[in-house]
Amino acid sequence: MPVYKTPKSIIAPSGCCGGCGHGIIQRLIAESIEELGLQDQVIACVDIACSEWSLDCLDYDHIAGPHGRIASVATGIKKVRPDKTVYALAGDGSSYVIGWTETTYAAVRDIPITMIVVNNGIFGMTGGQMNLATTLIGDKTVSSKAGRRRETMGHPVDMLQAIKTFDVEFAARGALYDTKHIDETKRFIKKGFENQRDNKGFSIIEVLSPCPTNWKLDPVDAMEKIKNENEKVFPVGVYTDRGGNK
Amino acid sequence: MSADYVLMKGNEAIAEAALRAGCRFYAGYPITPQSEILEYMSVNMEKRGGTFIQGENEIASMSMLFGASAAGARVMSSSSGPGFDLKQEEISYLTSNNLPAVLVNSMRYGTGDGEITPGQDSYWVSTRGGGHGDKRLIVLAPASVNECAELTYLAFDLAEKYRNVVEILTDGAISQMIEKCTLPPAKEHDIDKFDWTLTGKPLGVKKNKMNNLTNIIGHPAYSEMMLNKFKTMFSEEQRWESVMTDDAELILVAYGISSRVCKTAVREARAAGIKLGLIRPITVWPFPRKAFENLPESVKGFVTVEMSISSQMGEDIMMAARNSKPLYGCLTNVNIPKAKEIVDFCLDVLAGKVEPMEVI
Repeated sequence: MPVYKTPKSIIAPSGCCGGCGHGIIQRLIAESIEELGLQDQVIACVDIACSEWSLDCLDYDHIAGPHGRIASVATGIKKVRPDKTVYALAGDGSSYVIGWTETTYAAVRDIPITMIVVNNGIFGMTGGQMNLATTLIGDKTVSSKAGRRRETMGHPVDMLQAIKTFDVEFAARGALYDTKHIDETKRFIKKGFENQRDNKGFSIIEVLSPCPTNWKLDPVDAMEKIKNENEKVFPVGVYTDRGGNK
Repeated sequence: MSADYVLMKGNEAIAEAALRAGCRFYAGYPITPQSEILEYMSVNMEKRGGTFIQGENEIASMSMLFGASAAGARVMSSSSGPGFDLKQEEISYLTSNNLPAVLVNSMRYGTGDGEITPGQDSYWVSTRGGGHGDKRLIVLAPASVNECAELTYLAFDLAEKYRNVVEILTDGAISQMIEKCTLPPAKEHDIDKFDWTLTGKPLGVKKNKMNNLTNIIGHPAYSEMMLNKFKTMFSEEQRWESVMTDDAELILVAYGISSRVCKTAVREARAAGIKLGLIRPITVWPFPRKAFENLPESVKGFVTVEMSISSQMGEDIMMAARNSKPLYGCLTNVNIPKAKEIVDFCLDVLAGKVEPMEVI
């Protein structure tokens, strides 16, 4: 029977709401970093909003950037300290909506950072508003109370389909709704850090993650929603891998 | 004369002085009349081992700068008019994290898209701007190519000394003119010099968590620290040049391109027996209030000479003079003032033909 040790990098509880996926993602980041022996050289860049909770949780140098600009902040740091492991952790509002330009051009420049995007289909920190890029058609939020309508609010977009055309090192999507998918997500995140260790280019890992608080579902139902609804629009798997394993 | 005596554009002098001050990170977006700074950096930054990035926009460029500054590098960006507006968000973030950076604002005249020609109507956005929240930027206003180099070199030291944003406020004329210039000696900056930077430290070693400083040290400590910083910068960093103010009847107040014309106006007026003087702010924040102390009894009023519609500097002059003397506005908006026009204006003031201005 496997024994799971808490990574040494985790120094405090995640601080997130019950059933939130952010805590799992923080742990996967810490495990990946320690398994690769990179824990003594990490600089973490977190977006404001829910990603910022990891600032107190993980024992790395941290910076919280302006909302949406985290790929740019990480670019600046990686250029000044190219020998350090620099990762960006941000939500889907930050990475795909207000900061889509910044994410795009970090990818186009092929900056050798590891970017982790939490796709929970909603603006969590601000109380559950619609996310233009990731809220599903019909999903009810506090800014789409009758459900998202394509005619007036547009439709969700699979941004990894765009990113894979930018000739980046690695782009993949994982999910957290069962252990099989958590393990797969971990492999993707670890691959992102391996690429950086090996001086390869831009790696982005998106994670389908639940927000029970703002979805107004209990944690188990939130996981079921990802499996039955969100994953249909946002398929998990590797979108591009220049290293060529898949 | 130094061997580094060269003929350069204002923009090039700014860029070269920044490199010699140890600036090793530049990110920016093209806009007239400052694009030569970006172009100079694109050619020369990598030769000095630094990073040049042409950003996808101003906000992204400034966010890269924010990261690079946090990682310990000496950093610079530059823009003008609408481009400088877009930098405001990150100026606020730099301030909230107590991070140094040097920015150049080369003023182009007008609101909205405006013109690409020189102006001085971004005084307010420079001296009062910087995005949301409380902050003060040290704003240096060169009036020659030589001063472009000198003040840019100084700006990096001031930014680091106060862990604050320092702005070089120039205009399309000062940025574009070619003059002789003495360049400062080149020096290297050690990115590991300070203990507050992001370095990627081993587990167990105390980490730097850069977030709003208020979250880290609490509001009372942050407020006290910032207020002390603002007060210290205000009292220690006032810089100006006074020209023939000892017996002046009217004192011109002008910076940048206008101040150069004012020097000619003072000389021509004096030759005609009219006692003009000039106070030239070199820092427009902190505004050199000390220059307005102990002025002679002979002074009947102040004349602000600015390329703007409103007198943007007028309220600073009124505060500096404690409203003791009338203020007159020789405001030339889109045009660079002419010496004769300034002298004629002053003659009208002395003849009682000009109403003192209310600041609007």
